[in-house]
This record gives sequence, C-alpha cells and structure tokens, in this order.
Amino acid sequence: MSDYRFRYEKGDELKFLGHLDMMVAFQRALKRAKLPIAFSQGFNPHQLLHFASPLPLGYTTKGDYGDMRLKEELPAQQVRLRLNEELPEGLRVLQMTSLAPGAKNAMAALAAGEYEVILPQFAEMDFPGLAQAFFAQDQILEEKKTKKGMVLADIRPDLLALRGEMGPDGPKLWMQVAMGSTRNLRADVVVKALCHFGGVAFSPLVGHYTRLEMYQLEEGHLTPLGGKETRDDAPFAF
Amino acid sequence: MKNAVPDEILLQVEKPARYIGRETNMVIKDPNAVDIRFAFCFPDVYEVGMSCLGLQILYYFLNRREDTYCERAFAPWMDLEKFMVEENIPAFTLETQSPLKDFDFVGFTLQYELCYTNVLNMLHLAGIPLWAKDRTEEDPIIICGGSCAYNPEPLAAFVDVFYLGEGEVLYDQMLERYKQYKKAGKTKAEYLESLLDWDGLYLPKYYDVSYHPDGTICAVTPNHPKARPVIKKVVVTDMDQVFYPEKQLVPLMDVIHNRVTLELFRGCIRGCRFCQAGFVYRPVREKTVPTLLRQAESLVATSGHEEISLISLATSDYRCFSQLADGLLQRFSKDEVSLSLPSLRIDAFSLDLMQKVQEVRKSSLTFAAEAGSQRLRDVINKNITEEDIKRGCAMAFRGGWNKVKLYFMLGLPTETAEDLKAIGDLTEQIVGEYFALPKQERPRALTVTASASCFVPKPFTPFQWDAQQTYEEFEERAQLAKKSIQSKQVRFTYHNTKMSSLEGVLARGDRRVAQVIYGAWKRGCRFDSWGEWFFWDKWMEAFAEAGLTVEFYANRQRPYDEVLPWDHISVGVSRRFLQNEREKALRAETTPNCRESCSYCGAKCFGGGVCYE
Repeated sequence: MSDYRFRYEKGDELKFLGHLDMMVAFQRALKRAKLPIAFSQGFNPHQLLHFASPLPLGYTTKGDYGDMRLKEELPAQQVRLRLNEELPEGLRVLQMTSLAPGAKNAMAALAAGEYEVILPQFAEMDFPGLAQAFFAQDQILEEKKTKKGMVLADIRPDLLALRGEMGPDGPKLWMQVAMGSTRNLRADVVVKALCHFGGVAFSPLVGHYTRLEMYQLEEGHLTPLGGKETRDDAPFAF
Repeated sequence: MKNAVPDEILLQVEKPARYIGRETNMVIKDPNAVDIRFAFCFPDVYEVGMSCLGLQILYYFLNRREDTYCERAFAPWMDLEKFMVEENIPAFTLETQSPLKDFDFVGFTLQYELCYTNVLNMLHLAGIPLWAKDRTEEDPIIICGGSCAYNPEPLAAFVDVFYLGEGEVLYDQMLERYKQYKKAGKTKAEYLESLLDWDGLYLPKYYDVSYHPDGTICAVTPNHPKARPVIKKVVVTDMDQVFYPEKQLVPLMDVIHNRVTLELFRGCIRGCRFCQAGFVYRPVREKTVPTLLRQAESLVATSGHEEISLISLATSDYRCFSQLADGLLQRFSKDEVSLSLPSLRIDAFSLDLMQKVQEVRKSSLTFAAEAGSQRLRDVINKNITEEDIKRGCAMAFRGGWNKVKLYFMLGLPTETAEDLKAIGDLTEQIVGEYFALPKQERPRALTVTASASCFVPKPFTPFQWDAQQTYEEFEERAQLAKKSIQSKQVRFTYHNTKMSSLEGVLARGDRRVAQVIYGAWKRGCRFDSWGEWFFWDKWMEAFAEAGLTVEFYANRQRPYDEVLPWDHISVGVSRRFLQNEREKALRAETTPNCRESCSYCGAKCFGGGVCYE
C-alpha cells in the first residue's frame, strides 16, 4: 500500500465536465494506465481515489488536488507520467508526491484556495483601486448559498487576501479565500460582492475563473496542499 | 479547437458535456486532408446515442479509411436548441464542431420510430432543406440506416438513400466511388443514380407509388431502368473476419450504458412472432470464442471500463456460452471487471453464472413472459413456459434475489380478457413460490414488477397485417391486467398508450405519412419518446391537416393481398413464410427455433450462419 497526493490542472477543454464525470475520467485513466489502484472493502468496492474539493462548472484550475492509494509502491514520477498518458486532453497531473503514512487527506486538510478571475466588465474602471477599497471594508454583506438556501452573510472574514490588476487580458482579480468543510467561500460570491460594490451588473456567465492553488494550515501558516515549498509570496493571517 | 457553442451558453444548459466531444478514443483528423466527410447523426440526445453499438462500430469502420473522416452529431436537447435558434448556431459535429452542412454525407441511424421528428429537426437546425427534392448539389447526401430503415417509406421524402442491412458490407465501395466521382467532377445526382448498381440501397426518388381510391397502395413502380423492383438487405456472412473496433469511444459524462460491448452474434433463432429484430436480422451468425476473448481484451485495455456487456438478441442461445463466460471470468475477475448479461434465459446454469459475476450486487431478474397465458405465448411463439418462470424464480429466490421483473405485452392478436387475467395469475404464482420457501431460505422484501408495453405490429413480422388496438382499448386492457393483480408485492406499470399508437402508424406508414411527420415537427414536436415532450394533440392536428388517420395505418386489419408499403424491400424472409406463421399463430401453433429445425423462412439465401450449421 502506498499513498500519493497529486496536483492537477483542468483546462478550458474540459471546464464543462462536471466534478463526478471528471472523477470517472480519472478512474478510467488509472485503469487504462494499468496502475495498481487499491480498492475499498465492502459491498461496493470503489477505487481509493479522492479529490480535495469539487471545482464549479465552467472554472478551470491549475492547482487542484487529489489523493490515491496504490496496492504497491511505485516511483511517484512514474505514476504521474503513466497517468498523464491516459488522461483526456484538458486534464493533466502536474505534481505527484508520496504521502507520509498518517497524513491528513486532502479533503480534511484543505483550508484555503487561491483564484484568478478575468472580469471584462470592469474594463472602464480603476480596477486596482476599486479592489483595494473593496478589500479595505470591515464587513462585506453578500448573499451566499448555504444548506438553508440563500443567506445574507458577512463574507469578509473568509476573504483572506485580494487585489486587482490590469493584465493583458483585461481586469484581473486575484484572491485567497477560505475553503473546506467549516469555512468556505466561492470565488463567484466575492465577484458578485465586488460588482455590487463597484455598481456593475453581476452575471454568473461573465468572467473567466481559474483556481490557482489549494492550501492547508500548518502551524498557523497556509502552505500548498502539495507541500514542499511553502509559498511566502502571500503573507497573510488566516 | 473551439466549441461551436459559446461558453456563456454552455453554462446555461443542462449537461454541457454533451456538446464538447473530446472523449477518450475520439478520432482526430484534419478535415481538410480527407476526401470524404461523413457526419454520423443519432437523432436523440448524447447519452442515448453513445450507448448504441452500431454507432461505435460504424464510427471506427469508416474512420479506418484514411480518406474519410467520420464525425458524430446528436440531437441538441431542448434547452440548447432554443439558444441555437436565437444565436444562429447551426447543428454541429462533436469532433471538429463543424456545421453538418459542410459534410459530404449526413447519415442518421433510425433505431425507433419516435425519433423521426428529431431527424427533421437536426436537418433544419443544420440549415439543410428537409425535403430531398429541395436539396441541391450544395447540400450533403442524406443517408439513413438502422432497423427502422426496413420500412423507409414514412421518411422517404426526406432521405436520398436508405441503407438496408449491415454497414460493413457496402460502405467501402460506396465511399470509393464517391471519391472517384468527386475527383472526376461529377455531380451528387450522378453519384446517387450510380448507386442503383448495388443491392441493399434504396433510393426513393427512383420509385413511384400509386394508390387505390380507398387509400391503399396500388403499386410501387421503379421509374429508372436500373432501379430494382425489390431491394434486398445486405449482411455480413463471416462474423470472425468482419471488422470490429479494437477500441470504443468512452464518454466523459455518464451515459446510459457505461461499459464495453461485446457482440456475440447477430440475428436470433427464436422467431417470436411479434419481434421485428427476430426476422430482419436473420440469419443467426456467431462469432467464435477466441475472437470474442481477443476483442474483450483490447476493449477493456483501451477503455478503462469496469464492465463488459455481452450483447445479442438472446445471449443464452450462443452455442459456446459457458466456454465464453468461463474464459472472460478467468481473464477479468482479478481486474475488478464485471460481466453484464442482458437477455439471458433464467435457468440453473445462468443463475450460477450470475452468482459468479455479480457476487455482491443482486440486480433484479427479468423474465420476458410477454403474455400471461400459455395459449397466448404459443400464439406469439414465445417458448417460455409458466413452469420455466416459476422454477427460475424459485431458484433465484433461493439464490438471494428479491427483485423480479416481468415483461408483458397488451393487445396481442387474439388476446382476451382471460389472457389479461392470466397476467395476475402468473404474478400471484411467483409470489406463491416466494412464500413457499422457508423463511430462512429466502431473501427479505420481495418486489415483483409487472411491466406492460402495448403491442405494435411491425413490418416483416407475421403480424404485419394485423390491426393494432386503439389507445382507448389499450387503456381498458391495462386496467383489466392491473385489476387481476392482488398481491401488494406486485407493482404494475404500463407504457404510454398514445405513444404506442403513434409508433404503430410510423412503423407501418407509407410515403404520405411524411406530411404528418412534417406537420407535427412544424408544430414543435421532437423528442417524442420523451414523455414530457410528447404532444398527442399536435400529432392529431398534423394528421387532420394531412387528411390521414391513425385508424387507417394502425387499427385496420390489412388483407394478405394488399400491397404493403415495404413490399419492395426484402429482408430475406419470404412473405409466404410470414403469412404461414400468422396462420399458425391464429391456431396457437408454435414453430421450432432455427437450431431445432429449419422452417424455410428464406434467410438461407444469404449464404451463411445458422442455415448452414
């Protein structure tokens, strides 16, 4: 038995593939690659393959994570290459690392996510200034979908970092938000709040959303779920 | 490659993955580097079409040719269609997201009659004129195949060529000639005319139909010297030599059947008299075990699927079934690949096998009883007895199964109230078998589902002359059957009676029915087999407008000497044989299956299969 954590990207090609279908695509690729994936015990054995968090339909990602268990130990690099051979175009494993025994699984460890959103609707504005003023607020009330339906909530505590810039593709919003089972903020909710703040109409259909990274909390610091290098380009408190 | 549908629209439709292609094993070619572009269209949604074995076979068969690029197209669901109309997005293929209009051939597979309005709708969305007579050299050639093509007449006015039989036989020579003609600068009209050289292809424009004053057909007459009076289907004779894809398209989204399919044989030895497939696919032609094991190996390796489905019209009739099943189990059980065994006859052997292949999940067991009484089962030549069903159920209950499904048909020829009551009796007996077992030997919570469809007489069956019941009569019969069921363990469901009535018209319609299909489509009908989109009233308006009736096509007993709309098509089974079968049916006499003794149906003319075993 050997556990692995992988970081993967999902490109424009497959951004309309739902999360469940994407998991199946991984499962079938593992089979085709003849990787010795381990199965769960019980009445309905399933592959021991789990993902940290679903990606909303229409988003792309450069930094999502999953865990899997193989029946035998293989070099992580070999597993990555064999899997990439079989994944459909638009899905690619960027990094594969062995997971220490007893490590928290990706889903449980997940604490925050980082996003980049291209927002053409702000093209005529001082976007960096607007973003700065938006983030400077003490409280940001916005409607959030919860289990009880749409609820007006203060999203500011879950908004960890945010800035706006004018990039070559137009106004670009960068942010880090809380993610996981206890605290979770979707990037499009932040964009909606920003639209309201800037007096711009919000549409869920406008904007190119990309997840850049997923983080875990280690000794009070956010480090990428893939471990290794702790990123210190984003010093902020959780 | 850019999607034909912009992102902001894909975000607003249900299951956008239906429209993006990019599946595992999708064939990628440069459309500018091939001579022939062929759009294979399935006139229903993606999930249905991608579960069609014929599509999987023909896709790779055509694409194995370097000069041809076969791409797929499916009917867009209602939500996307709305956007396509508003935004002027023409119907497109998945591979290169190209408009259908850019193709040399646009082919449709016709698997059931209630998809006909979707054929029209896809042509319309593609900007291709619906009526064959309105199309020009700029438009693609419209070709149709599949089981419904055996009565091509209702769609004849919309289609250039009907392909009668199995695709592997003629497509190579057809495409080869198309390439030659195209290079020589000849027209599509000239090409179509040249297809009259070959049997198996029906070009409706070379045939005229005349009618008697009472509306029945007087004659179908060729109007071209090369047009054959009777067009005969073409079939493959050597199933081991014939092309079979080594890989299968693996959808990225969930479809109806997520598995690889292994085709054991074509045709069926049984000859159940209501079953069109049992006659039009004759004779039975099997693949050998080594061929199947080799194909399974490669399909599993290239797909990553966890299930192999053994398909055919009656799996238990495969002569080397136990050898095949053992071979597959031995090879695949260690790889967590399971077998699915549809259309199995339930006996000790098959139950034992099912125990082996489905050790954990006990799915429901299905019995196609088709009729409640033995008399009526003899009428339809369904040789399963009450004893078989009872014994099979008792064994299944002991083996741990607690779900039994029974299929019946309502409105079969000669059916009486007694026969309907027998449906209830049979289900009671099954419940009785369950309770007769000691408590510790039977599983808990028995459920029996009796599911009834409405009988639709089909062309090329012994009942092709018979009157179909009206939908009101179907309703009454369904109520009688329902009332006959007592036990609370039994659930009774029946098929939409009006849908069956419409199917009855389209299945045995003539050329004039085209006006009805057109009228219904114009009124917004499509996806007629999807309950929520089935509009009987619109169809009735279309009938009225065309001056035609359901009664004439569906509910009328046709005399033996009437010219049937499909009489100029031959599936190899003679009209005399069918007529004789019908006479035997009325006397409740059964006919032995092809392996017990030959009944001289005529299919021996194809020179292969069971007729020569």
